[in-house]
Amino acid sequence: MKTKVLALAASLMAATALAGAPAHADVKIGLLGGISGPIAAMAPAMIDSAQLAITQVNEQGGIGDGEKLVGVVGDSACNPQNGTDAATKAVNIEGVAGIVGPHCSGAVLAAAGSVSIPAGIAMITPSGTSPEITTLDDKGIVFRTVPSDDYQGRALARTMKEQDYGKVAVAYLNNDYGTGLANAFKAEYADELGGEITQFAAHEEGKASYRSNLAELAKGDADTLVIFDYGDGTGLTILRQALENGFFEKFVGGDGMKSEAVIDALGAENLVSFVASSPVGEQSKSLDMFNEAFKGAGGDPDAIFATTSYDAAFLMALALEKAGGNKDEVAAAMMEVSNGEGEPILPGEWKKAKELIAAGTAIDYKGAAGDQNFDENGDVPGTYALWEVGSDGFEVLSEMK
Amino acid sequence: MDILELVNFYIIPGIVLGSIYALGAVGITLVFAILRYAHLAHGDLATLGAFVALACVTALGISPLLALPMAIVATAAVAVGIDKVFYEHLRNRPKIVTVMASLGVALMIRSVIQVVWGVDTQTYSRGIVRPEDYFGLRIRDREFYTVFAMLLLVGGLQLFLTRTKWGKAMRAMSDNPNLALLSGIDNKKVVMLTWLVAGGLCAAAGYFLGLNTELKSLMGWSMLLPMFAAAILGGVGRVEGAVLGGLVVGIAEELSVLWIPSEYKAAMAFVILLFMLLVRPTGLLKGKVL
Repeated sequence: MKTKVLALAASLMAATALAGAPAHADVKIGLLGGISGPIAAMAPAMIDSAQLAITQVNEQGGIGDGEKLVGVVGDSACNPQNGTDAATKAVNIEGVAGIVGPHCSGAVLAAAGSVSIPAGIAMITPSGTSPEITTLDDKGIVFRTVPSDDYQGRALARTMKEQDYGKVAVAYLNNDYGTGLANAFKAEYADELGGEITQFAAHEEGKASYRSNLAELAKGDADTLVIFDYGDGTGLTILRQALENGFFEKFVGGDGMKSEAVIDALGAENLVSFVASSPVGEQSKSLDMFNEAFKGAGGDPDAIFATTSYDAAFLMALALEKAGGNKDEVAAAMMEVSNGEGEPILPGEWKKAKELIAAGTAIDYKGAAGDQNFDENGDVPGTYALWEVGSDGFEVLSEMK
Repeated sequence: MDILELVNFYIIPGIVLGSIYALGAVGITLVFAILRYAHLAHGDLATLGAFVALACVTALGISPLLALPMAIVATAAVAVGIDKVFYEHLRNRPKIVTVMASLGVALMIRSVIQVVWGVDTQTYSRGIVRPEDYFGLRIRDREFYTVFAMLLLVGGLQLFLTRTKWGKAMRAMSDNPNLALLSGIDNKKVVMLTWLVAGGLCAAAGYFLGLNTELKSLMGWSMLLPMFAAAILGGVGRVEGAVLGGLVVGIAEELSVLWIPSEYKAAMAFVILLFMLLVRPTGLLKGKVL
């Protein structure tokens, strides 16, 4: 018995040792995502679309001299601790050349601050939307393919002002995402536009009851509640309890609240007064190309952040190719491959991009989610729409400016 | 703020929440008193109970209330199984080993739930339920069920512990295990019984949390701290203390937003726990044995 156990242990160790040594000349990138935790429902489509970019790269010649690009998936669980752990593992154990992810702002800030900035590994998040990421002292290595919530919060405030929402109360999740969005909204709605915010309160996630929070928020007679939270997490509980108890008449959510889970749990008939803002991909040839490819791979192109995840992974691949395998130059290369100048590259056009880079021609990636032209902070501008709940899920109600 | 508003939006939710905590805390207190360790998988066992009930609802098409007994039976069986597989052979080792093992078990249960039922938020029934109005008091049916079921289950347990042979055996074990063994009490049966009771109560706690909010794979884990706070507040080993503790923690959490910013609501359980440990470590009802 004992020898059997020993033999098993030895063979397991041998197997790990073998797995630990990568086939020669693979280029690894970390795909860190909130696989478990509050955005677990969104994560699979995001990881799949990033994997699609990797598959396309490998099918069309790979990186450098035909080296394979390998995506190493890690679970950042949408929180700072797991984000740091996953990034540490990716950088120190897997030896990745760049990181696509993590998915949540808190995880991005923690992973960037304690792992990727000290290690000088470029990082590009498809969904970390906190304004804090803009001001991060990142030595230019942190990028994102999703616009900052500063834009979203302000655009939402302007749209609501335009549609005469009047007095509002704001409830936001006490993390980097909720706080960032809520503060941007407040700055525009109350300070710039002179709207009235009666209550402005944060809440913790994972509690069973928020009725006392809602009772506090309802003081001041606002008839609209603005929720900056996740629709398959605490945001759903709050929305349910607010509807059931009749605390507010109208509800407005940020992009986190635009989740199918809200409709599944509460029923579309109860959500007539609920709207949510969310980034929309502008119609473009890039978007069509991505949609076709992702459908072909069995994915749902309308899934939230699918386009930005694809763009993040594809941009990372382009930057790696441009940097010629030198990890320290990936960040600078990232700026060069998508700055609005050069031969346009559309999603999936890896072979063309590879040839142009080899010839030394400047390229400009036109992403599925937008042109993805980075500013000096590694941010991209965005377009948003306000969505309402129709009979077949979310439908665009109006554009947001 | 008038008194009705206080009752409707702070006290009633507090009592419902407190009843859910109480169901979990009674299980924790039983395990603590008889087996003498903190069982960290309690929250995730509650999640399992909630999801088993969901499986019954979706597979058999029955009303959620009928699914509760099934979930209780199934989770009680799972709890006994977990004890047999993971905790039994650690019984003679230092207790801290079992505590750590229970943390591992918690992660395993959660992962199994995520594999079987996925990570999406789910509900027993779609749509929303507006409360009924009773002379100004706004109460939902399911809130009545929650509180009554808690009183029924805990009352039944109390009768079992004081009136029956096996209940007395459990109390004897918690009082003095060596003496109990010497007087011929079957140690193994008592342990099994403890897990049956604790597992069943866990399932009820998870089920009612799910009924009042939503089912999430992390729902039980985030309840663990308030449940421990309730058990310690009431006095470890005291069933009625756990109920009292649960209600106090639940109501205190809801009332706390009147005075402190709402983002610190979750810290209320911590504060109560720390305060009790400093001021009166034996708990409100002087716990130690059943």
